[in-house]
Formats: sequence, C-alpha cells, structure tokens
Amino acid sequence: MASEDEWNLLVIVMDVNPIWWGQQAQREPEFTLSKCLDAVMVMGNSHMAMTRTNKLAIIASHCQDSHFLYPSKNWTAGDGAGDGAMDEAPNCGDGKYELLSVANNVVAEEMKRVMSTTEVKGNSTDTLLAGSLAKALCYIHRLTKELEAGEEIKSRILVIKTAEDCARQYMNFMNVIFAAQKQNILIDACVLDSDSGLLQQACDITGGLYLKIPQKIALAQYLLWVFLPDSEQRSQLVLPPPVHVDYRAACFCHRNLIEIGYVCSVCLSIFCNFSPICTTCETAFKIQLPQMMKSKKKKLKQST
Amino acid sequence: MKLRVQLQCKNLHEYLKELSPEILDRLYNHPATCLAVYRELPSLAKNYVMRMLFLDQPLPQAAVALWVKKESQKAHDECVSVLTGLRLWHTQQLQGGLQGNILNPIFKDNLRIALLGGGKAWADEGSSLGPDRHARDVVSLDRYAMERWEVILQFMVGSPNAAVSQDLAQLLTQAGLMRSDPGEAPCITSAGFQFLLLDTASQLWYFTLQYLNTAQSRGMDLVEILSFLFQLSFSTLGRDYSVEGMSESLLTFLQHLREFGLVFQRKRKSRRYYPTRLAITLAAGITTKASSSSNPMDVTSGTGDTSFIVVETNYRIYAYTNSELQIALVALFSEMLYRFPNVVVGQVTRESVQQAIANGITAQQIIHFLRTRAHPVMLKQTPVVPSTITDQIRLWELERDRLQFTEGVLYNQFLSQAEFEVLRDRAQGLGCLVWQNVQHRVMVVTPHGHSEVKKFWKRHKSNT
Repeated sequence: MASEDEWNLLVIVMDVNPIWWGQQAQREPEFTLSKCLDAVMVMGNSHMAMTRTNKLAIIASHCQDSHFLYPSKNWTAGDGAGDGAMDEAPNCGDGKYELLSVANNVVAEEMKRVMSTTEVKGNSTDTLLAGSLAKALCYIHRLTKELEAGEEIKSRILVIKTAEDCARQYMNFMNVIFAAQKQNILIDACVLDSDSGLLQQACDITGGLYLKIPQKIALAQYLLWVFLPDSEQRSQLVLPPPVHVDYRAACFCHRNLIEIGYVCSVCLSIFCNFSPICTTCETAFKIQLPQMMKSKKKKLKQST
Repeated sequence: MKLRVQLQCKNLHEYLKELSPEILDRLYNHPATCLAVYRELPSLAKNYVMRMLFLDQPLPQAAVALWVKKESQKAHDECVSVLTGLRLWHTQQLQGGLQGNILNPIFKDNLRIALLGGGKAWADEGSSLGPDRHARDVVSLDRYAMERWEVILQFMVGSPNAAVSQDLAQLLTQAGLMRSDPGEAPCITSAGFQFLLLDTASQLWYFTLQYLNTAQSRGMDLVEILSFLFQLSFSTLGRDYSVEGMSESLLTFLQHLREFGLVFQRKRKSRRYYPTRLAITLAAGITTKASSSSNPMDVTSGTGDTSFIVVETNYRIYAYTNSELQIALVALFSEMLYRFPNVVVGQVTRESVQQAIANGITAQQIIHFLRTRAHPVMLKQTPVVPSTITDQIRLWELERDRLQFTEGVLYNQFLSQAEFEVLRDRAQGLGCLVWQNVQHRVMVVTPHGHSEVKKFWKRHKSNT
C-alpha cells in the first residue's frame, strides 16, 4: 500500500485536434469528443476517489497550443480538502462527491472555452503533443518543488492520442521523453486511431504502457482496467504485453522516418541524404581526401 | 501475562468487519459511506472494484484469479477475503456451473453515484439558506476546531480552566481514558497518557470509535450517524450546510460533534453548520500508519502546532511552543531544564523515560510523538529523529522487560537422578520444558504439556 505521505499525480494529456475529431464525428457519430471527455472524467474521478493523496491535472492539446483544463487558471486550485475559492458553489446536488463535481464542472467549462475560442491558423493541423507533454512535465516539476519536507510525489502522464504522429516534432518529443525518463515519470499512451511510433518509444523508454484500443466506444473501460492502477499495483496485475516498438528516427532535414541514414559525427544529427555541411552544427565534412583517412575524415556512418 | 494495556487503535476495516451483515448492508445505502469504505480497501482491491464497477454480469472466479501475476497470489487472496468480509461482492452461480463474482448491487450503485452523480443530494445544500451573514473563513474554522480539541485534551490532563460537558466526561470514562471514583474529580489513566501522545488524527479516530461503541446504548442509530460522519468527511471546508431534514438523534449527534470541534455552529439553534478540518480529515486519520503530519492537509497545519520539536543527538529536546498542553506532553518523558517565552528545553534521561514507561507509555509511542511533531528542520534529515535517540529509548524500555513471565507446573522431589533425567528428556521431547535445574532435580513444564508429562510419569512408575 502506498504510504500516506506520498502524493500521486496523474496528468492526462488529451488530444483535442479539431480536424481529427470533426472527421471522427462523421465516421462514427456515437463516439465524439464529448464522449471521450466523459470517459476521461470517469478516469479522473476514479483516480481522485482512490485516496486523498491522489491529484489530477488534465491538459488539452490543441493544434497550436495546449490548455490546462484542470486545475484551471481561473479557479485557484486548493488542496485536496478543497479550501480553494468556491465562488461557483456546485449546484448539482446529485449525490456526487463535491470535490469531483467541482472538478468536472471546471473541466467541462474549460473544454467549451478552449474549443470555441481557439482557431486553427495556417496550415499546421498537427496536434502540439510535444508541447503539451513539456507543459505536463513543467507542472509536475513545479509541484515537486512546492512539496514540503518529508513528502514525496509520484507522477505519471497519460496521453490520449487521436491524430496522426507529426514527424516535425520528433526532436522536441525525444527531448521530452528523455526528460521524463530522468525524472522517473511514466508516460502511458492510449491510442484511439493509428499507431504512433513516437508514443511507443516514449512508453518503452519511460516504462509506461502503450495500448491501441480496438473499440473506441469502450474507452472508459479500457482506461479503468489498464491505466488506473499506478506503477506499484501494475507490478502485481496482468496487463497487456508490451508492443513491438518502432525505433526509427526522423531525419533532421525532411523529418522523414528512416531506418538507414547519415549521421554527423560531431553532433549526431541524422540526415536522409548526404550534405557536405551539417545543418545543425555547421561542420564541414571533408571526404575526398585519402591521406587524412584516420582522424579528420568524416565518414558516413550507418544508423540502425 | 501482560502487564501493560496497549492502546488499541482499530482501523475502519477492523471496525466494519465486526458489524453485523444487516448493518453493513444498510450502511452501503449512502454514497459517502461507500466512498469511505472504498478508500480504505487495499490498493489492489480498489482496482478490482473499479474493474467490476460498470459490469452488470457476474465475472467467473477463474477470470478474476487471472488478473494478477502468479507471484502476487497472496495479495490476491487477501483482496478476495477483504472484499468478501465486507460483503462488497457476492458469489453467484454462473450458467454452466462456474462460480462467479458480482459486486454488491447496493454498493455498486452508490459508489457509481459518488463517482459520477445521478442520484439524489446527500443533504440539503446550504445554498437554500442564502448567504450566511456570519460566514466563517477557513482560518477561523481551523482555530475553532483546534481550540475545542485542546480543551478536551486539557481536561484530560486535569487543567483547572478546561471544562467539558457531562456527556463528554462520561464518554472519556467509558473509553477508559479517564477514571472517575465517586465523589472525586476524574483523573487520567495510563491509556489516557498513551492517547495524549497520539497524533491528532489518530486521537480523533480513537475517540470516534469509542463514541460509536456507546452510540447504540444511547439509543442512536449506528447507520445513521456513521453515514453522517462519512458525509461530513467528504464535505468542503469553508462551506455551510443546513441542518434541515435531520432527525432528532442526528441533531444530538451534531451537538456532540460541535463539542469535539468537528463542526462549527454559531448557536445551538442555528440552522447551518460548518464542518471543520478535523471532520474532513477524520476519514484520513483512520489509517494508523506512521505520521501524516507533514501532510499539508493534516489536521493542524496552519495553526503551526504540530511541528515544533527539535531533538538533538545529545538527548536535548527543544520544543518551540507555548501551549501548556504540549509542554506537559513533552514533560511526560523528559526532564524540563529551561523555559523561555517561546521555547522549552528538556533532556531525555534514563530516569525520565523509565518514569514514562512506568506510567504505561511505550517507547514506540514516545518515538512516534517525537517524529510526528518534528520541526520542519528536522523533517529534512533522515531519519527524522536521530537513531541514537530512538535506539536508546528502546533500550531503556527493554531494561524494564528483563523478566519474562511464563506459566508453568513445577516438578520436584525426584528420588533419583535417573528418574529426573527420564522425565526431563520426555518433557524436552514434547517441547514443553520451560526450565530445569539438574543439581536440585527440579523442572518446570508448560501447563498444556503438564497432563501429557503426568501420564508418562504414571506409566513410567507402573512399569518399574
């Protein structure tokens, strides 16, 4: 059993890419963004109901930016006992635990605000997942620093991913993953649509779970079964086996995923085709000089 | 033979398990109790409940058994026994003769309501009363709660300016924390000393348990007050709630809670009440595990009253407090040296600790007290209390435990050494020999081995 002095923080990063969800609503009208949000709230409520020391944060990841749905800026998050400002007294007397009903109202309000105010500008239609993850890490870091002596916090991130991977975010994504690994933060991924190589790597490196769910409509049940147990309980439970991880890297020049490519021997940047000067560190490669075979020559290396 | 009475602090599970099945089933009729019970389950069992919460069909037991890995089978069995013991799930015959499990339907429905809503309100909301002209903020509620609780503790240590009601004094006596001889003022017992050294959350829980034990004899409905108590522990600090729709016995209960400082009510007849931090952390205090006082949600945070003790490796205790009560508590097991306006200095000595132990306090309780009240500076180091101090206090306790009492039957006056040896070897073979002295030909046998040895002796005598 987890000790009472230990906080348990779950950050849910939810992909709210409007383009994907718009198409989804046409494909399967029975599973829309609001249904997904419901499932996430069930998950969040279950997490918070487990013990008093469980904390929750939900981040919506949009095209160009990411928003905190809970705890939101407009609502000063009090501690679990809820001594935050309660201007909006929960009006729904439907038997729900007050803390949860306050939280759910906040999430729903914020979600409405995010979806109605954020516009999709330009032609970038990818979800800013790396940015949201970075924000989650920052939030976790802040809470860790705010701890009092003798307290510990265990954090994990759950990504609910819908849209396609974006190879352009490869660099940022990898940085986030390694930062998470260093901080001992698990990244779990629940993928609704097509497999995501980046998230597979993230889960594999940080020791989280990766699951592509076969039935979207049963999202809540998948979340409760697989992602609700924390790392301690997971060691006791039988859970889905790890997937085969696609470890291909994206090249720095065109952001394509490649299996074999060129690597700069100075800064380890990856390129899909040869260029005489590394675009990252501006090293000039001299290759046609047979007499300098040993040291100076930057030979093409193969990456796997 | 046990010389000391150890203060037993049961947790919620142990308490609930002793209740009759009918009461348990009635308890689960309220979302708040379901949530409280759920929170107290072992973490694995919580996941079991979560997995089955939205299932309407029973699950085959074989499938449930496959949820855990082989090496955690023990944890699984424990969960199953807890869930069955609390009547949270039932066994049901599946089609095809398999045994299946299904969650207790009442519990399932109410836990769902607690999580997701869709039921009726727990109680009438305070908003129906309109805003309170005498609204209380969190700080003043905290102060109020602490004051009330300190009065009780001060009453226990016999401080003259602390007065409590007849009911409360009686409750303290019934709980065995105080002893009252007819015609005399009640005085504290050794259990009471141990009680004082607990942290506030545990004190509160112990006290509540005692209250619940006597509740039925007061003609109160146990289910009603338990539900209310849990409801209180899930309410929001700094909000007012209405007393509308509460029964007569519940109103009496509310008055008692008001006296303990669990709720704030401006006047006895006031139609609204505020739960205080004490009430809200009541459910958290159920766990009797080592401290949670560093927890910001802890009962007394904000009053700065829990973290004031610095212990040095030279056995000096610095207590940054001017509360008479806290000083008295520190003085229970230390020798007071100096007193300044904001700090007292004491020294833990062999005599002072032995004195405390003679009063019925255990070393564990002293160490727990020091640890839970440790100053923030102390909390930064590990272990919080220097190990020399903890070890030494334990050793001092062991000094008193040099004698071990064992009941036994003495055999003596053997006629020959051979006879003695035959019987002794037999007793040794049976594993019931406690002590022997070859020179004096005496031996002591445990009481349950006595009949066996005696029979053997008779047989042996008749054979020779």
